[in-house]
Amino acid sequence: MKHNEFKQMIQLSLYGELSESKHAMLLEHLNFCEECKRELEYQKNIMMLLSESKKLKVNEELLKEARFQLRGALRQHKADGLSITSIANNLLQLFSTPPRLAFGAITMLVIGLIIGSIFMGMEKVIIKENGPELTNASLIQNDMRISNMQFIDSDPSDGEIEFTFNASKQVHFKGNVDDPKVQGLLTYAMLNDQNPGSRLNSINVMDSYKKVTLDDDVREALVTVVMADNNQGVRREALKLLNTSGFDESVKQANLYVLLNDSSSALRIEAINALINAAKSGHSLNKEDINLVIQQATQDDNNYVRLKSKSLLQEYN
Amino acid sequence: MEISEKELIIKAQNRDQFAFEQLIYNYDRAVLSIAMRYARDNDDAKDIYQEVFIRVFRGLNKFEFRSEFSTWLFRITTNVCLTYKTRKKEQMMVSLQNEFEDEQTGYDSVNLISEEKSPEDQTLGNDLQSLIGEAVDSLSAKQKMTFVLKHYEGYKIREIAEMLNCKEGTVKKYLFDAVNNLRKKLKPLNAYQT
Repeated sequence: MKHNEFKQMIQLSLYGELSESKHAMLLEHLNFCEECKRELEYQKNIMMLLSESKKLKVNEELLKEARFQLRGALRQHKADGLSITSIANNLLQLFSTPPRLAFGAITMLVIGLIIGSIFMGMEKVIIKENGPELTNASLIQNDMRISNMQFIDSDPSDGEIEFTFNASKQVHFKGNVDDPKVQGLLTYAMLNDQNPGSRLNSINVMDSYKKVTLDDDVREALVTVVMADNNQGVRREALKLLNTSGFDESVKQANLYVLLNDSSSALRIEAINALINAAKSGHSLNKEDINLVIQQATQDDNNYVRLKSKSLLQEYN
Repeated sequence: MEISEKELIIKAQNRDQFAFEQLIYNYDRAVLSIAMRYARDNDDAKDIYQEVFIRVFRGLNKFEFRSEFSTWLFRITTNVCLTYKTRKKEQMMVSLQNEFEDEQTGYDSVNLISEEKSPEDQTLGNDLQSLIGEAVDSLSAKQKMTFVLKHYEGYKIREIAEMLNCKEGTVKKYLFDAVNNLRKKLKPLNAYQT
């Protein structure tokens, strides 16, 4: 073994990273090698010197500042489209298995078209301090409401601060529930309103007016809500409405997604019931779907879901 | 009942902000410590800290429990540190083209608190720390990262290899070269101390 290798062993030994056998080998070598003995002393010295700046701990104030700034950055990140990202991520998870890629691509395209059509003509407004668009008078005259003020830079030491807020104005609208404009607005609210109550109402309005025929855009929006909304009640109502709108591949995949991923056992049971009803009406599951149901039938935390999953398998066998 | 890390991760994956914060507050001190050691500047360290957790936030849905969360987090941390200087240089080039004033020449020393030292010792220690810090700064990015993680943060070579996504032998080589280079840079000090 060369001296250079022993030198590396000396370093590892000082860091406590040398195995017992190699440590013994090193000690034996040090007994007769003056050069390596000197090297050991050098390395001890350099370690001691470098350890001069070792006994340090993070400043608590700095940690607080970092946490505060991170919170602001996350809020900003969320405001810049987290909801879209979350929907996309959930969809990507759903469509990760190869047979579902085609279905995934189509659904993403349709949802893209919905979102595109909803947001067509809308743009993010950036208003600078002295911009002509925003004055106290204009805010009052336009009956604009300001909410959800979030600071990006709340430190006035450089003379400037930066923040975002929602400026909204109430709009009164009356129309037929079959009107595509009304459905478009309800779909937008269902997907984007921050208030879960409003999202729920938008779904219930469409559900309660039984004559209404849901077009593909609304159905795809419901699929998105079922998979991505963070409110259990909203997801459940969306799933119920989706299941009454006719059973097809996208509805089947939405129910399977709920069965496999939703944290609420009530929703998982709702999904199983829909799949059982579909089986009774002659719809079928492919082999891969059945494997997923088998997995659920053995692994679900909830006894009733496990039992229902077994019933579902019997319906499809 | 205390919630497990796995449960916190799952909740955070479902965009539970509170769970996300609980999760990262178990590790953010260590991340900031690495960032401070690596960048030796408060603002840079905070930038690295923020970049790390924004990446964690964005990527959490893709985390599939194939490794420990901490390994994944520290791998992101080392990646951000390793690329930080390059990105900062690029930003500086742009900023220098636009403005050439307001330059702060004072060295923004590392905001770490030294323990068990008198003010006099601290002053002497700060000079020494600056010299050591400059020597550490002169190492290559990977040597520096390895040295910081091993010498200052006390991680095992196996853990560093996981963070840097390389073999243990490679880490040993980086470490060996790092200490040898530091030894050359700090030779006068070392001789004085001996």
